[in-house]
Amino acid sequence: MLAYIVRRLWQILPTMAGVILLIFFLFNVVGGDPAYLLAGKISNPEQIANIRKQLGIDEPYWMQLLIFVKQVVTFDFGASWSTNEVVSQIFATRLPASLMIGIPLLILETIIAVCIALAVAYVRGSFTDRAAMVTCTVAQSVSILVYIIVFQYVLAYKFGWFPVQGWGDNFFENLFKYAALPIVIALVVSLAPNIRLYRTFLLDEVNQDYVRTARAKGLSENRVMFVHVLRNASIPIITNLMIQLPGLLVGLFLIERFFSVPGIGREVILAVERSDFPVIKAVTVYVALATMLANLAADLLYKAVDPRVELK
Amino acid sequence: MATGPLTSTLRRVLAASLIGAAGLGGLGGCGDAKSPKVAGTASSTTSPVANPDGKKVVRLAFPVAESGFDPQTVSDLYSAIVVDSIFDTVLTYDYLAEPAKLVPKITTEMPTVEDGGKLYTIKLQKGIFFAPHEVFGGKKRELTATDIAYTFKRHYDDSIKPVWRFLVSDKIVGLDEWYAAGKKAGKLNWDAPVAGLEIVDPYTLKIRLTKPDFNFGYVLAHNGNAIVAREVVEKYPNDVQSHPVGSSAYYLKEWVRGQRMVLEKNPYWRGGTWDFKASGKNPYDETIVAAMKGKPIAVIDRVEIYPIEEEQTRWLAFKNVQLDILNMPQSFIKQALPGGKVAPDLAAQGVRVQRQLDPEYTYTYFQWNDPVWGGAELPKIALRRAVAMAINRDEEIQIIRKDNAVRAEFLVPPGVAGHRPDFASNITYNPALANALLDKFGYKKGSDGFRTTPDGKSLLFKYTSTPTAIEREFDELYRKNMDAIGVRYEAEKEKFADSLKREKRCQIASRGAAWIADYPDGDNFVQLLYSKNIGESNNGCYKSAAYDKLYEQSTLLADGPERDKVYFEMQKQFEADTPWALGVTRYRNQMIYPWVVGYKKHPVLLADWLYFDVTMANTGKGK
Repeated sequence: MLAYIVRRLWQILPTMAGVILLIFFLFNVVGGDPAYLLAGKISNPEQIANIRKQLGIDEPYWMQLLIFVKQVVTFDFGASWSTNEVVSQIFATRLPASLMIGIPLLILETIIAVCIALAVAYVRGSFTDRAAMVTCTVAQSVSILVYIIVFQYVLAYKFGWFPVQGWGDNFFENLFKYAALPIVIALVVSLAPNIRLYRTFLLDEVNQDYVRTARAKGLSENRVMFVHVLRNASIPIITNLMIQLPGLLVGLFLIERFFSVPGIGREVILAVERSDFPVIKAVTVYVALATMLANLAADLLYKAVDPRVELK
Repeated sequence: MATGPLTSTLRRVLAASLIGAAGLGGLGGCGDAKSPKVAGTASSTTSPVANPDGKKVVRLAFPVAESGFDPQTVSDLYSAIVVDSIFDTVLTYDYLAEPAKLVPKITTEMPTVEDGGKLYTIKLQKGIFFAPHEVFGGKKRELTATDIAYTFKRHYDDSIKPVWRFLVSDKIVGLDEWYAAGKKAGKLNWDAPVAGLEIVDPYTLKIRLTKPDFNFGYVLAHNGNAIVAREVVEKYPNDVQSHPVGSSAYYLKEWVRGQRMVLEKNPYWRGGTWDFKASGKNPYDETIVAAMKGKPIAVIDRVEIYPIEEEQTRWLAFKNVQLDILNMPQSFIKQALPGGKVAPDLAAQGVRVQRQLDPEYTYTYFQWNDPVWGGAELPKIALRRAVAMAINRDEEIQIIRKDNAVRAEFLVPPGVAGHRPDFASNITYNPALANALLDKFGYKKGSDGFRTTPDGKSLLFKYTSTPTAIEREFDELYRKNMDAIGVRYEAEKEKFADSLKREKRCQIASRGAAWIADYPDGDNFVQLLYSKNIGESNNGCYKSAAYDKLYEQSTLLADGPERDKVYFEMQKQFEADTPWALGVTRYRNQMIYPWVVGYKKHPVLLADWLYFDVTMANTGKGK
């Protein structure tokens, strides 16, 4: 097991090198020159050259790449070009708000989606199953933007059940007051595809011989579904869950923006609008790293869930 | 999930239709009395803010997040508004005067101007103190002439990436030389004197200019020249952005980046009495004077500012009485101001609107260096003029701007010294005449219906813009307009930063741009076509010896009839050459709840909360 983990961690290096090269290439080819944005309304070539020097983008490409590698290795991405705020500080202050929405969302979404998927898989082919699938298809077809605009207008403004926007300093106030509607919206958006996906995973298992055997042995349906079927369907469910984990790092762009949540997603949009490369590259590198670690965690969980899985 | 052009269009359509549907009854009526769940709403004249200590509070929204508060490095408008609340400038603007008028802020009187506009003498008031900060060692730190001189020098500190150097560059005797010497030595010598910045005594500064400049007063009022304390800069050499310490009415009490800014009254604020006169041009001024005369300047104790990027969110937050004043988002103009009047539900709550033209305009430039479009030869002038006459600005105003703009006619926009309100441009929408012009100068139509150049090459109007929703609307309009005169249209899309870079190198054939006044004087606009500003602000790289001569003549004159005559000649030269097609000037619609008293949006004054009041339910301080 330890050897497997070490080997997988070692494999992260070439992947990260690829990520670094890709980010570097994209920034230099299609990123635009931030000096012109930072120079203000009226500037002359001398000032532009000075800004380029300050940002270090007048250095040869190999030197810029070397600096980038050093930043990745030391996890020190310097300061934002537009606000001068240290990038690590940006993460430290914005991530909690994103996680406050993201973590409850992930937990609720998984529990609810698995339960509904189990229920509809159990009554497969019935009117309930078909109605649930049609509802999911329709719900999935609607843009997240529609949900945000309608829910914000109806639930927050018209009914006054939630605040239209805002964020405070108190953990519980944020979680139960300001994050509530963003979580509801994100839940509505994510439930439909997850229910469909999990239903498919479960249906693959429901028709297996071992399920028939379990029923023939006289086990209750609850035990068959929740213990045997769910356990065997859990590997793809874990995979799906793990794929979503790195997303916590980038937050929910539109939801954060519409509800004025000071999260990392809103910050990423701002960084892109401002060509704020230090922030963009830090986010990209962190997400890439988180994705690789989540994949590793998923593989280890497979083993825990199903002892037959061998880690090679 | 990132916002993009498509999503923003969808968002606007959805939001507008949803609220429209609600207005028809589907959701119970737009803005009905059910919506606000807080005190002080329908018809209330007191703020709904529950404030136990009786402080006066005003709540506002910014449509974009702030970047920081260093006066010499901040270039975005919203950060500059906060800067203007915290830091003092030498001069400021009369709150009510129209057009904008300079008045002293920290001086005992207006600066004396001598030597034909080359020598400005500033006499500072005594007893102006910076807000308390640890760098001052617990002592009250008075603002002196040395601080002003230091602030001017700070524009040359390359390490902070200053953005307002152009305000002083090449203007103050010895300042550029001081910078050159510092650069040569590898370090700026902050203590070295500059001949043009003579500190006579702690309260007197003489500024000697390299040439006569009757507009230098505007430079002294510009927030880019807001006065900083050297001790603070030296304590935070690269991060004054996060540590603003000024001498104006407010200090930054709380700042959660991108989330909220809270300004509270500077404990050392020098005070002052509200004593502005009605402009005589706006009947509401009388109401303001009656409500405000004799009150202290900066009567509001606390200013809360929330960056809210999304238009629907800002609009609903205002309707939910979470904001006291709102710059009306474009998408909801029709709902909020049907027929130009406040919607009945808002009017019932006492909401009023202040609608005024911003001191700005948009324009579409043609590249002067382009072999097909640029130059002073008659066929090229005819081509540019034909395109200018083919663009239907009325349709732009009606459809794209939602009736929230007027045509720009003159090189100096309304509200800016030098504007001619009675002037009507000769270049108006007239596709028939545009076609005739092109026919006359040999731009023949081919079998495909599109014209070629007089020498038979293909003719293309290549318009560069960003891939945003509004620019796509412009593409549709321009394509239709160009089709009407047989000119092939091509939309070129690129990132704004790339456009800026190419623009400075005169590499863009045509692009739409906007210019809002840095200071309310015509010079800030007519300089956009001066050939020495190519690579800086002359985007189309227009070059005309006649225009340049007139411009140089205008810079030697103070605002008045003589300079107006020169501006008129410049306008004639501009129309004769048509290096741009002038666009529109946009309205700003400020929605104001009734508990905000004495509010008037000033065209250039940024921190206007120094000059209005808020009626609170609980006004007893310390309760």
